[in-house]
Amino acid sequence: MSRDEAKIIFQLYRPGTADTQDPQIAEALALAENDPELARWLEEHCARQNTLREKFRKISAPAGLKEQIISEQAAFSKTKARREKYVAVAAVAAIVVSLAFLSQFWMPSGSGDDSTFSIYQGRMAGVALRGYSMDLTTNDPAQIRAYLAQQDAPSDYVLPAPLQKMAMTGCAVEGWQNAKVSMICFHTGKPLPPGQQADLWLFVVDRGSVKNVPALNSPQFAKVNQLITAAWSRDGKLYLLGTSGDESAIKQFL
Amino acid sequence: MAERVDFENLVAAYYEPLYGFAFSLARDEADACDLVQQTFCIWANKGHQLRDTSKVKTWLFTTLHREFLGERRKQSRFPQVEIEFASAELPTVAPASVNRLDAAQVLDALARLDDIYQAPVALFYLQDFSYNEIAETLGVPLGTVKSRLTRGLGRLQNLLADVQPQPPKP
Repeated sequence: MSRDEAKIIFQLYRPGTADTQDPQIAEALALAENDPELARWLEEHCARQNTLREKFRKISAPAGLKEQIISEQAAFSKTKARREKYVAVAAVAAIVVSLAFLSQFWMPSGSGDDSTFSIYQGRMAGVALRGYSMDLTTNDPAQIRAYLAQQDAPSDYVLPAPLQKMAMTGCAVEGWQNAKVSMICFHTGKPLPPGQQADLWLFVVDRGSVKNVPALNSPQFAKVNQLITAAWSRDGKLYLLGTSGDESAIKQFL
Repeated sequence: MAERVDFENLVAAYYEPLYGFAFSLARDEADACDLVQQTFCIWANKGHQLRDTSKVKTWLFTTLHREFLGERRKQSRFPQVEIEFASAELPTVAPASVNRLDAAQVLDALARLDDIYQAPVALFYLQDFSYNEIAETLGVPLGTVKSRLTRGLGRLQNLLADVQPQPPKP
């Protein structure tokens, strides 16, 4: 290392710091120990460096800066904590509402029980509307009753007088939970759409197989899908009669 | 863990040196205060991500420098200057001349340096940062830091040689 190279290296040298650990500076310092001219130059350099360091360190922060930083951060933290609390409360509320909403679909409940009377009404109306195949096609009431008895479906039903006068077209046995439902088909005399063999249907099932059945001491009318229905109960049987039209249309069969 | 670093103690320990660095860069008291405040604000939000608490000091200075650069929207490149090319920058100012200058004149001279030299020179004098710490703070290689320091210090001292000392106040 030459003297000039050492001077360049000393540019980065700050006396009294860890700079002496730098290998290049250590080598330059060693050279200065044996070079009086370089040693004098180094002495001037160190004086200059110390003076400059002092000048830089005269920069002082304005009074109150520390307190301002701490107080503003404290205020910000408080606001942030409050905001996070609100967000947490809102999130919990949203979760509760969501769970309550979803539980209507997932959790079993009274209204979600698929063995209730209202479900039975909808299911049987669907059978009538969405198509079925009759197990027995006949206009003979006796044959229908016999067939149903043979199938262990309800056959000791009692028809209202007006309905007894209607023409039967056949019957089928439907299932409801673990019970059998007798489906008796009638034709009211109105023109039937192509392919359709009935426009009036009576469903009979053991009342005990359907939950939440109302008293039904007298016929109860309800619009189910596109059908008007009348439901009543007699001798442990649940009767459900359905046809198109309004309440007056079905009352004529009761 | 960084969570254990008490905020008030941290501010007390570093706000002065950070302000010195900020002021040497920004040359404006309000801007320097903003930079320091912003640095501690970032620490309050992100400081917990720092796993090595021994790096807190470097982290703070790095963050302040980045904020300064962000404020300036500086787009210049940082060419590496080899130490050989800095040989022509050897200072000519006499120690006695430097002694007659006041701090404001020194900082004025610093402000006249190219941007890439200002931060390393300020860290060099203000904090006695090691070369590695300066490199880490500025995010540049060690060799680049040494090159910039060599050239920046030489230019600073040349600038100071042209500065007329302030007359003593009556």
